[in-house]
Amino acid sequence: MPALFTVDPRNGVPLYLQLIEQVKRAVALGTLDAGEQLPTVKALAVDLTINPNTVARAYRELERDGIIETSPGRGSFVRSGGVARDAQRAGVDVAEGVLSEAVRESRALGVDAPGQRTLFERAIARWFASEERHPT
Amino acid sequence: MNAIEIANLTKTYGAQRAVDDVSLSVPDGGVCGLLGPNGAGKSTTFKCLLTLARPTSGTIEVAGAPVSPKTFEYLAYVPETSALFSKYTVADHIEATRRAYGTFDVKRAAELAATFKLDSKKRIGKLSKGQRTAVAIVLAFAIRPRVLVLDEPASGLDPMFQRAVLDLIIDASAGGASVLFSSHQIGQVERAADSIAVLKGGKLVLRGDIDTLKGDEKIVEAIFSSDAPSPNGLANDPRVRRIERSGRILRLHVASDAAGVANALQSLAPKTVDVFDLSLEDIFLGAVSDGVA
Repeated sequence: MPALFTVDPRNGVPLYLQLIEQVKRAVALGTLDAGEQLPTVKALAVDLTINPNTVARAYRELERDGIIETSPGRGSFVRSGGVARDAQRAGVDVAEGVLSEAVRESRALGVDAPGQRTLFERAIARWFASEERHPT
Repeated sequence: MNAIEIANLTKTYGAQRAVDDVSLSVPDGGVCGLLGPNGAGKSTTFKCLLTLARPTSGTIEVAGAPVSPKTFEYLAYVPETSALFSKYTVADHIEATRRAYGTFDVKRAAELAATFKLDSKKRIGKLSKGQRTAVAIVLAFAIRPRVLVLDEPASGLDPMFQRAVLDLIIDASAGGASVLFSSHQIGQVERAADSIAVLKGGKLVLRGDIDTLKGDEKIVEAIFSSDAPSPNGLANDPRVRRIERSGRILRLHVASDAAGVANALQSLAPKTVDVFDLSLEDIFLGAVSDGVA
């Protein structure tokens, strides 16, 4: 199968965390559907040319987070039953990371909390204005 | 049980301590990358592990037992410089290895020889250095060993074959084998290994799980509106490895709890404090640089 995930070993973010983020993102975006099978640990390790134990660690954490389920001998699957909720939760996880990074960077640029709140309201107004018709 | 357990290994040659009280282990199914500058003691460690050199002190166990002839029924070793017979052909070596190892996979050997574009009719003496390394790799992996010890397995190979070696290590690991390998290329270690051990001047200066190290080791950088003050309280903090001060910038290399260190810096009233991730290369260079506490 074509590589569904990509990781960058040179990045300072631990590889298993990169992989977890990618799977969560794929579930949130619907690229991975409920009940869909993930590549085996071995197949994904070979595909991405990374250590199999690293992939196994990512799968273990995804299972603990309720994103996937693994049955011995059958493989790992995106959890079905309440997947919409899982997808939403996965989406919130990823979004929280992105927002936190934006806050960190804005603070480094010297924008204080009230200033950031103003910017944030403005950004929300820009992206949600057309669909929710909130006058701002 | 650990596949490889090296405890307090010391090897001296005359007055020189080539390996100085090194302890490292490779868990069952783990892949450990051994890193270090030339002369750090990597090859000596391998020689002691393979009983090619007698340790001055310390113990070495493979699969829970001291290394004995029986160990070599399931352990394969690729030395730094080839230990092949120059007058014999590649095919001769494959045949001799097949006879010596019950687990030798002839079909696999042929596939691997093709991967590395080896002409099995050629004598070893007619091969380039890289091709000889490739022969040693073909023999080692065709045994399908439970434990692999590889000293610079990709040195002298072109990038395509280096990638093939990487794929072989990952494939062996996925099949449950344990691997200890040395390399000068951090990129290879970053992909194939799950843990690293760093040697410098015969001493172990860093060891750990790669993802844990990447999660723990950070740079905390504070920028001040005038010259950066000296962070006295943090100079001897166990979380802090090294402090760099230059103009308005204060940069701390921390080994754990970056958020806590960043908080502690707030008392110095900096303009900004940032926490940066480190690549494995940064972590390695930090460990072998002279500023390490």
